[in-house]
Amino acid sequence: MIEVSGLTKSYDDFQALKGVSFKVNRGEIIGFLGPNGAGKTTTMKILTCYMPQTSGTVNVDGKDVNADALAIRSRMGYLPESTPLYTDMLVYDYLHHVATVRGVRKDKIRERIKVACEMCGILDRVGQEIGTLSKGYKQRVGLAQALIHDPDILILDEPTSGLDPNQIVEIRNLIKRLGENRTIILSTHNLPEVMATCTRILIIHQGRIVADGTAAQLEEQEAENERLRVLLRGVEPEVARLELQTLPGVRRAEVVMSTEPGVAAIELEAPRGAELRSATFNKAVEKGWELLELARLQLDLEGLFRKLTREV
Amino acid sequence: MAETMNRDVSPSAAGSSLTIKPARNVWALAKRELGFYFNSPIAYIVITLFLVVAGAMLFVFEMPEAGGDFFAANEANLRGLFGPTGPEAFGGIPLLFVFLVPAVTMRLIAEEKRTGTIELLVTWPVSDAQIVLGKYLGAVLFVGIMLLATLPLALTVGGLGKLDVGVAIGGYLGLFLLGAAYAGLGLMTSAWTKNQIVAYLVGALLCGFFYFVDGMLGLLWDGGRDFIAGMSFKAHFQNIARGVVDFRDILFYGSFIAIALVVTTLSLQARNWKK
Repeated sequence: MIEVSGLTKSYDDFQALKGVSFKVNRGEIIGFLGPNGAGKTTTMKILTCYMPQTSGTVNVDGKDVNADALAIRSRMGYLPESTPLYTDMLVYDYLHHVATVRGVRKDKIRERIKVACEMCGILDRVGQEIGTLSKGYKQRVGLAQALIHDPDILILDEPTSGLDPNQIVEIRNLIKRLGENRTIILSTHNLPEVMATCTRILIIHQGRIVADGTAAQLEEQEAENERLRVLLRGVEPEVARLELQTLPGVRRAEVVMSTEPGVAAIELEAPRGAELRSATFNKAVEKGWELLELARLQLDLEGLFRKLTREV
Repeated sequence: MAETMNRDVSPSAAGSSLTIKPARNVWALAKRELGFYFNSPIAYIVITLFLVVAGAMLFVFEMPEAGGDFFAANEANLRGLFGPTGPEAFGGIPLLFVFLVPAVTMRLIAEEKRTGTIELLVTWPVSDAQIVLGKYLGAVLFVGIMLLATLPLALTVGGLGKLDVGVAIGGYLGLFLLGAAYAGLGLMTSAWTKNQIVAYLVGALLCGFFYFVDGMLGLLWDGGRDFIAGMSFKAHFQNIARGVVDFRDILFYGSFIAIALVVTTLSLQARNWKK
């Protein structure tokens, strides 16, 4: 549906994108990750036809974003990074304005405003001036604005920044629901969010795509290690760590923060394929520790992210 | 419940029935600008200030040609509003507009740039030309409303004595065209910066220059004189305000506005030039 190939962008003497290529299929929710300044926002600005690329092409359903900008924009919803809104307007008036400019039919505008407000949970705020809303509500108005014309592509630049945990979960669920029959590209710094909402992950670093795949694929490709988390009772964390470190195959054992008092939490790392779980269990039995939890950790996105985007 | 949810998020609900009409876009953008003025105190402050000064110009200020103020001259005319005539004289609403119209237009694009809303604006399915036209229309309508607000002054004068209606209508038409030309310049300078104050100062300077350029001719060489005099807003205004509506004067303002709007559109598109 969206096909980006060989995209570059230079600002004066700074090269923000150095040949970015990826494809997005209909119905995918893409998590776009990268450190600050990696090129996420630049890529999104080119996708939304805000500014042209230096070289390379972007096609949406075979149409070029520069040649068919108006046609492509009309199918896209966009939430820019800092949620710029007309703060002097009432929420309703603003959404009405956007719907009009977006070309929603006059007799459908009220209905669309209602649907968008319901989806974003701002129905009770429609009569309020945007400038007086809290950051979370402004963010939702920005999202409602992006949804008002029912686009089949949504481009969201950090949609959950500045929201409280409850709101983040709500927006995540909303994004998942929207993604059932739309294509969504969202950028974020929040790694758990990507795991929770996205069907595919793109990591961009210094203007290049350094990882592209589902969480499972990335784990397959990138993670050489498997990780276990062990919760033990009846032992000093440091003692347990030293003991567990001696198990065959363990590369690293680390005491991590425990959420329960009197419980030692330890993370073990071993090469893939080394079956650590039974060894850990036997060790605990042998030493008389209470084994409260033994869990294999899923893709260590944070570790992967750090590994791929380390400054060289 | 699940069904209603599915219906809510289905892209076919409105997606297939989008109709993009240029005129509708331009009008929507103009309405947004007008709404901004009247939803905030700005419109009321500007109009009040405008009426107070215009009223003083009409009734209180000395008029050089009449040798006294409105009542001393003892003649029902609107010369105080339209300003004295002659290349080196200045005053009236044409001068007042030099300071007020750029204040109306300064935020139009500069503020969108400062707050970042321009990023949404230009990614909506509207062309840059539509954006410029919409914003311009909003500003010009506001200038028109300012002029309409002075009608009670004109009617008062009409009640005091026999007013030359032809001259009055010509004067108002001239003022409107003049204000529209100033608005074009103001919008143009607003597109050059994200700082409203800079937009205002440069706009007022340009408006003042084109208003008074024929008064500065003494400083100039002979050859350029006719050409420059032809650029003067004031000279064209005074032609129309005499009650003689000449096609050439209207053409002058029309082409001036067109050039200002084209430059504005190009300035908006300048974001695309840096490749």
